[in-house]
Amino acid sequence: MAKKTMTLNMTDEEMNVLEQLSQRKEMSKTALLRQALRLYQMVDARLADGQKLFFERDLTKEKAELMVI
Amino acid sequence: MSEKSVVYLKDRQSGQLVEATLYDGMGRTEVEAAEAVWMPFLQEQLKLMKDRGVPKEQWPQHRHWDWRKKFNEIEGLLAYRMFGVECVSQMQGLMLVTTAGKACRIPSQKGMPLVYVHFLAAAPWNLPSIVKEPRFSHVGSVLIHTAIDLSMAEEVGGRIGLHSLPQADSWYASGCGMTDLGCDPAVQNLRYFEMTREQAAEFLR
Repeated sequence: MAKKTMTLNMTDEEMNVLEQLSQRKEMSKTALLRQALRLYQMVDARLADGQKLFFERDLTKEKAELMVI
Repeated sequence: MSEKSVVYLKDRQSGQLVEATLYDGMGRTEVEAAEAVWMPFLQEQLKLMKDRGVPKEQWPQHRHWDWRKKFNEIEGLLAYRMFGVECVSQMQGLMLVTTAGKACRIPSQKGMPLVYVHFLAAAPWNLPSIVKEPRFSHVGSVLIHTAIDLSMAEEVGGRIGLHSLPQADSWYASGCGMTDLGCDPAVQNLRYFEMTREQAAEFLR
């Protein structure tokens, strides 16, 4: 699939987080950002559809709603 | 628009490998065309099985899957990819995967991203459980191979995961060499299988 290139301006803090995440997930920054975009689009589509996004603690089954701006 | 590449299926009658086309990014037309052929064939076979008194437990457990509905749910969403294998002008298998939002469960790779296989099915005429002489084999292997390739292209190391219908449990465990992490109460108590980098490399060998 053809790809396009863009320049991204980030603060030091944002770049640090991106670097930490890409190291932890063993992915390049590009792959990580592409994955983040897909996830954000999916979440946005579900919220627009009237669904809610929750995180659940495995042991206690305690649920917390995730706010997406 | 879908991208196409060449893969090989085995014609069970001749025992020969035959060229097939892998569709990456199935379009509505292709999905509808597949379902329009699969569904009547499956319904006819189910009727025959019913007439022969075959117990329902032996009917294909994915007989209710509607690929058109699945396509409608994911159309336009980048996180999902639908693949198809076409041979002799008919879709021989379909697979829906997601490339975001799922994490590994095996302790050695816990929390790492993976490609999750939501649905994978061969065309009904390829299923030994419902037809006496299935047409093609290797459909499932080609699609799992595709999921691993995608996982590598997405830089998640070939790691894949899926929930299996009971009829397919032994194939994912023995045929694919995936790790069985047991029944998952969150997903209809289906068994969850996962593949490590090493298992993926072994599968591709």
